[in-house]
Amino acid sequence: MSVHGWVAAAFCAVGLFFSLTGAIGIVRMPDVYTRIQCSSKTITMGAIPFLVALAIAEGPLSTYGSRALVVGILLFIVNPAASHAVARAAYKTGVPMWSGSVVDEVQLRREDESE
Amino acid sequence: MRDLLLGVCIAELGVIAVLIIRLARGPTVSDRIIALNTMSTQGAIAVLFFAAYAGRSIYCDVALWLSSFSYLGAFVWARYLERGLL
Amino acid sequence: MTGFWVLDYLCLAGILTCAALVVFMNNRSGSVMALSGVGTLMSVLFVVLGAPDVAHAEVIVGAIALPVLYLVAIGKIRTDVPDRGELGEEHASRK
Repeated sequence: MSVHGWVAAAFCAVGLFFSLTGAIGIVRMPDVYTRIQCSSKTITMGAIPFLVALAIAEGPLSTYGSRALVVGILLFIVNPAASHAVARAAYKTGVPMWSGSVVDEVQLRREDESE
Repeated sequence: MRDLLLGVCIAELGVIAVLIIRLARGPTVSDRIIALNTMSTQGAIAVLFFAAYAGRSIYCDVALWLSSFSYLGAFVWARYLERGLL
Repeated sequence: MTGFWVLDYLCLAGILTCAALVVFMNNRSGSVMALSGVGTLMSVLFVVLGAPDVAHAEVIVGAIALPVLYLVAIGKIRTDVPDRGELGEEHASRK
């Protein structure tokens, strides 16, 4: 393989590691909010290196590379918004936090405002 | 190089298989939203790598639709949780 | 060519698992979500089988439109209807 191939393989290894650990984290984590953190990590550090690897392997201006970059930019913009929406919906519907969690800043702020 | 593309595609489907566990077990709806959202994003990447493996550029559009509409689905589910759809 | 069959059977196993989840899950929203997962995985399967146009339609219909339709229907259903057994079917079943 050429140099481009080895760089792409390295990016694929990084992406595969983070995707797999993120998926295991989604299965193993104790409550919703920590799972949202794992999901966001799966997208940001797992999906973007895959797309960068495809763009490197095929060339950033080729057919596959350009579409991979478009998908990457789309994920990079929309993913934090979706995570935020899901977390806010979960908090508003009263999903309990993990019993070992330390601080709930929204609750603290509400108490401050009520005082 | 083609082996790398196919290997990434199969590995993404393996990650999807891990996420189906959370889709089955999730105690609340939010867990399932997260699992489903991650699942369809990984599916989009699998489709993209399969397009590069098969050499058909028309498959790439499916990946674009899949990624964008998975987030639309996440927003719809979040709105359903907060206020209801109607 | 072997890799093609591996992809095919992996997608098929995912679809079958999600379809079993739709039937056996005891939570209504969870069933609708497993239905959405069936649509997503089936679009991947259609791409693997070489039908990208059907995959486009499956993404829109199977992964988004059909679960949203089910959600609207579930929201419109009155689930608090008391079961009085006015037609006698409850008493018939109790005998």
